Amino acid sequence: MGTFLVTVGIGLATAAILSLSAVAFTLEYAVSRIANFAHGEFLTIGAYAAYSGQTFFHQSVPAAALIAAAAGLVAALVLNAGLIEQFRGRTGITVFIATLGASLILQNVLVIAYGAANVSYTFPQGGLHHVGPFLWTTSDIEVIFSALAVAGLIYLLLQRTRFGKAVRAVSQDRALAQVSGIPARRIVMQTWALAGAVSGFAGFVLADTIGTFSPTLGFSFLLLTITATVAGGIGRPYATFGGALIVGIVLQIAGTYTSSAYELVFAFLLLVLLMLFRPNGVFVRPSATAVRA
Amino acid sequence: MYWVSIVTEAGIFAILALGLDVVWGWCGDFDLAFYGYLALGSYMTFVLSIGKPTAPVKYIIGWHLPVPLAIVLADIVVVALAAIIGAIALRNLRDIYFAVTTLGAVSALYLIVQNYTPLFDGYNGVYGLINPGQAALRLTYNGYRIVLLFVVLGILFLAYLLVQRLSRSPFGRMLRSVREDERAAAAYGRTVFTAKYRAYLFGAALAGLTGGLFAIFISAFNPSAWTPQELLVIYAAILVGGRGNPRGVIVGVFVVYIGFIELTRFLPSPASRPEFGPSMRQILIGLLIILMLRFRPEGIFRERPGVDRVPGPGWRLGPFRAPAAAASPGSVTAGPAVAVGTSTEAPPRAAQPADAGEGLSARGSAREGHAADDGSGQ
Repeated sequence: MGTFLVTVGIGLATAAILSLSAVAFTLEYAVSRIANFAHGEFLTIGAYAAYSGQTFFHQSVPAAALIAAAAGLVAALVLNAGLIEQFRGRTGITVFIATLGASLILQNVLVIAYGAANVSYTFPQGGLHHVGPFLWTTSDIEVIFSALAVAGLIYLLLQRTRFGKAVRAVSQDRALAQVSGIPARRIVMQTWALAGAVSGFAGFVLADTIGTFSPTLGFSFLLLTITATVAGGIGRPYATFGGALIVGIVLQIAGTYTSSAYELVFAFLLLVLLMLFRPNGVFVRPSATAVRA
Repeated sequence: MYWVSIVTEAGIFAILALGLDVVWGWCGDFDLAFYGYLALGSYMTFVLSIGKPTAPVKYIIGWHLPVPLAIVLADIVVVALAAIIGAIALRNLRDIYFAVTTLGAVSALYLIVQNYTPLFDGYNGVYGLINPGQAALRLTYNGYRIVLLFVVLGILFLAYLLVQRLSRSPFGRMLRSVREDERAAAAYGRTVFTAKYRAYLFGAALAGLTGGLFAIFISAFNPSAWTPQELLVIYAAILVGGRGNPRGVIVGVFVVYIGFIELTRFLPSPASRPEFGPSMRQILIGLLIILMLRFRPEGIFRERPGVDRVPGPGWRLGPFRAPAAAASPGSVTAGPAVAVGTSTEAPPRAAQPADAGEGLSARGSAREGHAADDGSGQ
């Protein structure tokens, strides 16, 4: 039982990172109606930006996190303005293939800039702490709390501000929002900026938690992100947190009792089950799934 | 010899691209698992033909079959895997959901092959299929490679004829009608899933065959040879050549392969940065995909609209045929192909949007179509 709970604890830390990445993915989907395959690269860019910046700021973790978020923000703005908006009015799968191309480009630009080999941060991980039945490192705890904080911020932003109202309107119907006087293009850009910043930060904590990383960091995390997003229901930011929780814990448990190398295999199995039985997320009753995937 | 090798490789990938084009170009399903079929075909060809593994090396089966037989058996295994993945992914999932599911499938396959060494020896991969039949044919090494080139080109030509026939057949037109509007096709009595499934298995069979040829060509195979990104080159080639047009696809593969390999050979590749050249190549492939999609999604050669075969001595092959019928696709009088009905006609070119063939919505479903069908029948 003890081992099991420790596993759940580690799963919670994984889920926290996953939820950050997945909520950004789902926000991108909500306003642009596209699945962004280059989303993983936002994480990678954030991780590498923090890697480049870590020496400038004397190993300050908050400074590195900010740099990562800023880099992710810039990357998302560039991708949205330079690619996604250029493909407005095209079918979802066309834009998806285009982002696939963008993902290939960004990954290899990073390979050229930083090399394909693994790199790692020099931040201290901190000691182990017993928190209730769980066993966490200091950075695990920081990750979990920062994920909760980001979740709270996104909730407030979407529910309590004019910006949030506009985002919800644009995600319902961009053209209709536009004719009601909402500057849809700007709202979409701002949402991408938000998503990019969250992804960049997620990339930083992911890289810090794993220890070593390479330019494929975000790409290999993408399938997990998509699984978590689908589990929550794509385009539904709050449910995404629930989806990430489920996926994070299930994977950690499955990985612990078999081999962590097969974690992604379980992610795929989970994805298939979700696609077959609950394509709109586990929080929607099957009868309510009017839109079949 | 250098050119022989490059043209052989391009020819092998052209066969793969023909198969992929059936799935993507005709049915509109963006499949990311396809390279996995090539890989499995390759692995199976190895383990069926190179005999028992020796001490530290581990892999399954280890028979000593003649290579052509091994390729056929390997292809059957590949089609069986495609039958499983297709049954899951094609039934309800479309567009992005389909793409993500197939990506998940190939990632899972990749991880299993990589980590479970008793299967195909993990990272090390399998090797040892060096120029099978060279001794029996009494050829020099160079002579053998030239013969291989002609064998590959011959198979490519046969595959082209087959795909071209299929493209013109009622089946090919049915696939395109399903791609254009699944609900309409279903309402006209087409079983959407079965049509897509059969096309998917056909495409996978070509991919498995490609895997077998690839095994002979490179004589060793390990996981680094088939990362999922490799498939994007094939997609880029199809985009360049012309999606849905078999001749265009072949031209696209040769242009992209030979063009890219030749051009990027002259990129600077400093010794301190061995990854510069390959990375630059990948970046160019990514750019090529984006630019083609943005500015010329139909490629160099447009897909030709579906035309019923003109009755009479119409067995001549090739895309440049029956221009009169192409102008008015509905004006068919009689002949063996008429039985499929006008519902399977692709609309005339002018009526199609710029993104021809991407009209499937995520909501389109066979079941809804059938419901409409039943309703009209009562």
